[in-house]
Amino acid sequence: MNASLRLFGGLSASQRLFLRRYGPIFAVYGFIVVLFIIGATQSERFLTVRNLTNVARQSAFLGIIALGQMLVILTAGIDLSVGSLVKLSILVSAIVMDGQTENQGAAIVATLGLGLLVGLIHAFLVNEVKIAPFIVTLASLGILRGISLSISTSPVGSASKPFIMFYVQKIGPIPVIAVMFFALLALTALLLRYTAFGKYLYAIGGNIEVAHLSGVPVKLTRYGVYVICSVSAAITGLLWLSRMGVGDPAIGDGLELQAITAVIIGGTSLFGGRGTVIGTLGGVLLLGVTANLLVMLGVNQFVQGLIQGIIIVAAVALYKQEGD
Amino acid sequence: MSEFILEMRNISKSFAGVQALKDVTFRCRPGRVYGLVGENGAGKSTLMKILAGAYRADAGEIIYKGEKRDQASAGEVIDSGISIIYQELALVRQMSVAENIFLGREPRYALGLLNLSELHRRAAALLKRLGIRLDTSLPVSELTVAQRQLVEIAKALSQNADLIVMDEPSAILAGSELEQLFGIIESLVDEGVTIIYISHRLEEVFRIASEVTVLKDGELVDTRPIDQLDRPTLVEMMVGRPLNEIFPQTEHEQGELVLVAEKISTDTILEEASLELYAGEILGVAGMVGSGRTELARALFGADPLTSGKIALVGGKSARWGNPAQAIDSGLVLVPEDRKTHGLFTSLPVRINVTLPILSRISRFGVLKFQAEDEIVEGARARLSIVMASPDQEAQYLSGGNQQKVVLAKWLETNPAVVILDEPTRGVDVGAKFEIYRLMRQLNDRGIAIVMISSELPEIIGMSDRILVMNHGRIVGEVAQEDATEAGIIELATMAAAGANRA
Ligand SMILES: Nc1ncnc2c1ncn2[C@@H]1O[C@H](COP(=O)(O)OP(=O)(O)OP(=O)(O)O)[C@@H](O)[C@H]1O
Ligand SMILES: [Mg+2]
Repeated sequence: MNASLRLFGGLSASQRLFLRRYGPIFAVYGFIVVLFIIGATQSERFLTVRNLTNVARQSAFLGIIALGQMLVILTAGIDLSVGSLVKLSILVSAIVMDGQTENQGAAIVATLGLGLLVGLIHAFLVNEVKIAPFIVTLASLGILRGISLSISTSPVGSASKPFIMFYVQKIGPIPVIAVMFFALLALTALLLRYTAFGKYLYAIGGNIEVAHLSGVPVKLTRYGVYVICSVSAAITGLLWLSRMGVGDPAIGDGLELQAITAVIIGGTSLFGGRGTVIGTLGGVLLLGVTANLLVMLGVNQFVQGLIQGIIIVAAVALYKQEGD
Repeated sequence: MSEFILEMRNISKSFAGVQALKDVTFRCRPGRVYGLVGENGAGKSTLMKILAGAYRADAGEIIYKGEKRDQASAGEVIDSGISIIYQELALVRQMSVAENIFLGREPRYALGLLNLSELHRRAAALLKRLGIRLDTSLPVSELTVAQRQLVEIAKALSQNADLIVMDEPSAILAGSELEQLFGIIESLVDEGVTIIYISHRLEEVFRIASEVTVLKDGELVDTRPIDQLDRPTLVEMMVGRPLNEIFPQTEHEQGELVLVAEKISTDTILEEASLELYAGEILGVAGMVGSGRTELARALFGADPLTSGKIALVGGKSARWGNPAQAIDSGLVLVPEDRKTHGLFTSLPVRINVTLPILSRISRFGVLKFQAEDEIVEGARARLSIVMASPDQEAQYLSGGNQQKVVLAKWLETNPAVVILDEPTRGVDVGAKFEIYRLMRQLNDRGIAIVMISSELPEIIGMSDRILVMNHGRIVGEVAQEDATEAGIIELATMAAAGANRA
């Protein structure tokens, strides 16, 4: 239907479809490769084990909430509250753990429980009170942030020693946190491909009316997806505690936008019904590598925001070619 | 247990002031085909949506398989053995054919994981039963409207229902596909399945229904065995007055040449199509679903870029256009087949839907003249007998047929030189159909040339001055109205030789 498609004139219909769908994702990965080449040639510190380990860890932090966010966006929803929830999670876990190894279990349970509760409340408001997800989670962003800052505006509580060690642990050369992210990534991919729940996310985002009339458990699926998203934020809060060692209330600001940005760069449609895990991974890596590279090259952080903005527009323009 | 599988008793339903159903009673015995007919907006779809659990009736009761049914969810209704093929296609565009067919009832392994190979195998088997070959992993967005309709039918079959409601399933099917559908209905009935068949094509109702129920303005007119009815009687029951079903003919000689297409091809199935169009005529385009008729329309309209060939508008302002906006400026309009996605702003009021292309004409200094707008909307309502609560009603709440009239009204306001109509009477009731036919002839009298694509052969033959037949993306023949027969057109449209170079 458009000029770029005719370039692929010699291909079969299904090959063309494949290219149209996944071409932009290839482009994202291609761009990451380009960034690597720039990094390798322009900075001697970029291609070091130490730096790449860092990139992997940081990508994992963003990646875990991006995965949760992606699932919500697939249903044509959105969760703006994840940044604030990360903030509250690091505080809650730090206070409960209070530096004691024996409190670790309680801190993890309390934090994940918090995620569960927040997710349930979001889904309840979306499902039963029928408030738009944008509004529900926008309110939640403010509320959770308010609660966090009224708990403390300066660092509180602390992590146990083993919990702090978790951050630096490696399996071979790879940080445990990155391994964890990859495991969740694989799990999400399987969820989307091999479970009815996964298909229902696409169905609800694609056409909620049809999903409803086909007997898809729309509400139940939404409860599931908002809980998964909030729990992913709670997990990220725990990881931040492992990294910081204390409950730092400065953590989490703006994370929701980072996550949404990664998901969009990965080709997930904000209107729902379309998106892939591999795309989201590309989005996360692209953001992670760009940020790292800009630091390496000594670019000032305001320019970083600008460059991120340009990347979003470029990525979305690319996906637009996909047409409908 | 009663003799009825389904009894809907004294059902009433109103929507914000519109009484869609008043005290309607409808009963079905197992293993029969019930025709459900009535004008646009009569309440047929509403009655079926109540059955489906999608709407809740204000009053009345539903007794299914001998038991009174409380308000049920859509899923429970499907599980109880009722499946519905909705009038407005109900598929998720982004999902694959197989995923759509089994949405909500996917085959699973013990652990709850999906059995994808089984999913695709069963979907393929169902499609085969319907006589269609389709890649089951293709997303629905890649299918033609007719293919989607067949997927929809496959979805209903997959539910192993005892009662299947088909709300205008045939509206976009033609010839052999229609025969396939009837074949399937007959075999289902032999298995004891009950079918409720809604259609505006009365010849189909006479062909397969054993009883016919007529609704008018939300009220039950009567239910009668088909053999006690003839077509004029049925039409009179629907419309409320006798209706003369004679296709209006043009009064004058062939006019001047207005449009020439020479060997045009696009990046679709369309290949080397040539045609000439004369002022004041109706050029019918017949062919099977997927034969390239819609693609021809899109090419003429500039919606798909040409890969070869050329189009020239004779005597027009511009002879070349690369996109629809230029085509419209040159006096060419296309009324597309899928009104929900291409023709209508469903969430906007009828008023805006009708006047959108001519807003500049009814504004002064960019400010809308409401009175002029009202006049236009009122004029369209009167001319096309559009049934609506008010011009401010959102288009999505009109009945299917009335939506179609709104789309037509919109384009007719632009005073075009050439009008391309893709399935103009799809989903339109008998009375309105003949109004549209008369309207088409009025346009002819004003010198406007019409290209009409239709799957309905009686309409093609009755209305077209000349008929082009398409087959596998090519125009394979031209038939004059006097020589046209249904059999002759079907033969051209299904001829294997024309497709030999593509198969
Ligand atoms: N959700 C709704 N909200 C408001 N009005 C509605 C709604 N659904 C239907 N109506 C109105 O109820 C009446 C019956 O509509 P319905 O769709 O049942 O007609 P129909 O007999 O199926 O017509 P058609 O042959 O055109 O499909 C119409 O006047 C329509 O405008
Ligand atoms: Mg209807």
